[in-house]
Amino acid sequence: MPVTANIKMYRVGELGDCFLLCFSQQNQRTHVLIDCGSYWNKKSSVDRMKIIAEDIAKQVKGYQLDVVVGTHQHNDHLSGYVHAEAVFKKIKPRQVWLSWLDDPDNKTARKIGKDFNNYLTRLRLIQKELKSSFYAGTEKIQQNIQHLLGFYGITGAERFNARTEKFPADLPARATGILKTLGKNKPKYLSPGEVFDLPGLGKETVKVYVLGPPREEEFLYKKEPGKGETFDHKLSLHAAQAEKMLTALKKATGSAGVRKAEEPFPFDEPYRESANFKPVEDAYYDKKNEWRQIELDWLNQAEELALWLDGFTNNSSLVLAFELVETGKVLLFAADAQAGNWRSWKEIKWKKKPAGFSWLNLMNNTVLYKAGHHGSHNSTLVEGLENMTHEELVVMIPVEKSDPMVNYGKGWKMPAVNLYKELKKSSRNRIIRMDEGISKAKAWNDLAGKAGGNSLYWEYDVKG
Amino acid sequence: MSQACPKYRLLRGYTIDPGFSTRLDTMGVNETTYKIRWEEDLLPGPIGEYLEIIDFDPINYCFYEPVDLNARDVLASNGVSPSEGNAKFHQQFVYTVIMQTIENFEKALGRKIIWRSNHKWVNGRLDESQRYVQKLRVYPHGMMEANAFYTTEKVALLFGYFQAANNVQGTNFPGGAVFTCLSPDIIAHETTHAILDSMYPRYMENTNPDVPAFHEAFADIVALLQRFSNPRLLEHQIEQTRGRLDEYNVMGELATQFGQAVETGRGALRSAIGRHDPRTGKWKKMEPDPGAYPRTLEAHDRGAILVATIFEAFMRLYNFRVQDLIRIATQGSGILPQGSIHPDLVRRLAAEASDIASHLLSICIRALDYCPPVDISFGDYLQALITADTDLSPEDNNGYRVALIDAFRAWGIFPERVKTLSVYSLRWSPPDFNKKELSAVEIMAGFIKEDVREISRLTDRKKIMEKYRNVQAKLQLLLMNPEKMQPLTWKRSRLTAKDWTGFLHKIGVEHYSQPIRVKTGDTELEFSANPPLEVHNVKHAFRIGREERQLEQVIISLTQTHRTVKNSGAGFRFRSGCTMVLNIANDEMKLEYIVLKRFDRDRRLPRQAEYQLGTGAGLTVPVSAYADSRDSLQLSFQQLHSH
Repeated sequence: MPVTANIKMYRVGELGDCFLLCFSQQNQRTHVLIDCGSYWNKKSSVDRMKIIAEDIAKQVKGYQLDVVVGTHQHNDHLSGYVHAEAVFKKIKPRQVWLSWLDDPDNKTARKIGKDFNNYLTRLRLIQKELKSSFYAGTEKIQQNIQHLLGFYGITGAERFNARTEKFPADLPARATGILKTLGKNKPKYLSPGEVFDLPGLGKETVKVYVLGPPREEEFLYKKEPGKGETFDHKLSLHAAQAEKMLTALKKATGSAGVRKAEEPFPFDEPYRESANFKPVEDAYYDKKNEWRQIELDWLNQAEELALWLDGFTNNSSLVLAFELVETGKVLLFAADAQAGNWRSWKEIKWKKKPAGFSWLNLMNNTVLYKAGHHGSHNSTLVEGLENMTHEELVVMIPVEKSDPMVNYGKGWKMPAVNLYKELKKSSRNRIIRMDEGISKAKAWNDLAGKAGGNSLYWEYDVKG
Repeated sequence: MSQACPKYRLLRGYTIDPGFSTRLDTMGVNETTYKIRWEEDLLPGPIGEYLEIIDFDPINYCFYEPVDLNARDVLASNGVSPSEGNAKFHQQFVYTVIMQTIENFEKALGRKIIWRSNHKWVNGRLDESQRYVQKLRVYPHGMMEANAFYTTEKVALLFGYFQAANNVQGTNFPGGAVFTCLSPDIIAHETTHAILDSMYPRYMENTNPDVPAFHEAFADIVALLQRFSNPRLLEHQIEQTRGRLDEYNVMGELATQFGQAVETGRGALRSAIGRHDPRTGKWKKMEPDPGAYPRTLEAHDRGAILVATIFEAFMRLYNFRVQDLIRIATQGSGILPQGSIHPDLVRRLAAEASDIASHLLSICIRALDYCPPVDISFGDYLQALITADTDLSPEDNNGYRVALIDAFRAWGIFPERVKTLSVYSLRWSPPDFNKKELSAVEIMAGFIKEDVREISRLTDRKKIMEKYRNVQAKLQLLLMNPEKMQPLTWKRSRLTAKDWTGFLHKIGVEHYSQPIRVKTGDTELEFSANPPLEVHNVKHAFRIGREERQLEQVIISLTQTHRTVKNSGAGFRFRSGCTMVLNIANDEMKLEYIVLKRFDRDRRLPRQAEYQLGTGAGLTVPVSAYADSRDSLQLSFQQLHSH
């Protein structure tokens, strides 16, 4: 019995992901919503999210919203669950799927979550310290950090509670909280290697494969492919680095909360008075040589720390593949997975699968690829794309070129130029972009399924 | 009467990272005494002729007390004793290793190092009074992270320190402070960036994937060969091997350690040379992979290939050179008995290795003068290596050039448009000038001869730099208007303006008075007319080769910048030019080689446009794995090094 998968990419109007999947077989239907969010949280963003949520309600009317997925803790993937909470509560989905990292009963997940929150808190405090007049001249760094903090819906205006040593919960965290109680049934926490039937359809009709986020801690921390081998405990290491930086900043600005007994670092020795200082100080403070002073250079590290956390969060993405069993066609939703997440797929031990089965089988059969991380440079592994050889391949890229974030900084370009070229090549130009819609390409005629859209979404049917 | 200066200053320091000195088996060897050229009038800092070590720590917002290397107690004990907890030793140590690196460069290049100049613009003009940067500035504790870098904007080296991981990892002291300014490898690497930049500022422009890779690779090559030039370290390593000398182990492990030392979050070099087999724990050499070069695009990984190539050449030379020693030691069997090797043999083997390393280092450095001023590729570098070495050591008794060629072949690095990989065809070709062009060369050479002679007598670096600038400016005028600058000679030569344009064309300078259009991929670029000509360098060199041959040379490099007109190619710039090598003998100046990067509209230009603008089907910056996050058109070492 043939299955059709209809995929709607909602036009959130800025950087963001919102995909509604509808699998139908005769008169049975299963609806899956993967992410619902956008970056900015402006009034227009909130209004748009509500409109989209209402449309989702309309789409599932007469059936039900079977599954709601939250892939990872970034605002541009989850904000809608907060802004349109009421609508989603009314829809009352059957079940919510989250990654094992959100599982309150998983000890490792709890530890990572705690480290993560500490790290984020420290970053926010570092940002606060940088705003002190002592560090005038760091506006560019602050701006860059602010953009990255924006992925957690943080504006910088939030108040830090010195007693609890906490900020109010950030927006993605609130969204996850909402998701955990949203479903009629308890949420399902997924781990790589799991394979199961999509609920609502018959057995062996549509299979769900869980690829990421990796269980081995190590892979979570790898942003770049193939570099370095000793990344154990990188999160705690970075968190410690953030802590050290924060302490140093506080000491310098004279902020409250620095313990007097803070050990001197890196030298134990007290500083002595000596006539030898003169030539060195003269050289450093020489008016003509002011351009060579280094007061603020070390603060660039704050940006690195923020960037690292961003990569970490992207790598914590829940990655799902849906297989239409009869034809073997696969829909791949890579969320924002970066190289570390992708690389871990090779190591997955698949449950209930024959020994030869690997991630490459899924790549070979992919007919719909939701480009990782809005098409950024390090979120589609070369080896993965090289193996997407199915002649029906179509690529969906949730990218909005009018959003300054997609062009932010030097390497942020979305979609990345080289990757975009390769995506076009592999799909024979069958690309659907959130901003530009359906590409003009002859190769569309080779497909049984049709692509279309309206002001709310672009859609495409995969015929199984 | 004034007292004669001492020749050297003896300073104690580490041979490898201090992390290793706490391990029992390397404890003995990790300290050595460096012999550094004596600097008169060295101030506390140390602040000398080339360097100012400013130990300002912006994190703790303080200065650390500077070391006075002329203090009696310090002089009497060969410097402050090595210690991680003493900032004065840190200052002394960066000073030591940087000075050693500078010495190696000056010896190989046959002239003084002058740092990149300070480009300060006042009212739209370069401020000449502030242009000369006498001292490279060094901040041994400039940031709090596992990073070290050279910055062109400040003409400074910044070294970071950080807290080691709280868990025990390798030889780290858990939670202790780790200082990048105590690693001789890192110091040499960063210093090399600064020196290379002083010679070729245009190598900071990312015009093809080899350029960023070359900066990294060259810095690693210098650091690696400096490490291998240290006989004490080698002796110790050879002693440890207990006879397994036929394998690559000793040197390979040293090189691997080196990779660990210079990597800050990257392992490219380590894995390019070899790796430890996780099962046997033994080090295994990586077989050269000729397919890796075209495939590998990320700057560090690609650079690692060039480093591995030079290391390969080093190993070939070493194995060739020690054959006889091994035969003598084993009565011809070639197989050493188990157990410790005779200390005499150890010393001899170490001496050979260190000798090869220092020769190879000179060859690698000297080749820089035979490199194009812009857009370098690995293939160019191979040709430069071969030409430079043929020039200075025509005999090549010990097979350095053959080893280099073999190594490049093994790693699949081939220059473009070279038909065979022989010394003969790899050499840059001497120009084939016709009579008219020869008299043009004569005009050019005659014009700068006196100035060059004057430069060769100067010792003050500032005066040298000023003189260079002066000659460069004059030469620029001459190339543009020979009849005005040298009316008499011009008349006598009977050259016409057309002849002169022809000559300029030969040396890679193009003249067009109308804008020109070039199609690349799906776009057309329009270049403004009259691209300006810049005389980039006029440099004098006096060198001595390993066969004691002496050579006096003048290196001239010209560049031309072709800019696109407004609304064409978003500020795209294309540079062309040449490096000319002139030999001075018997009061004659002869143009020996021209290394050209032409205004090549058919290949080089479209390729660069494609690379930088994404106008074609090929890869664009950032290139790798559609990856490396923040590669851009202008290289920044802070970013290159920090991930």
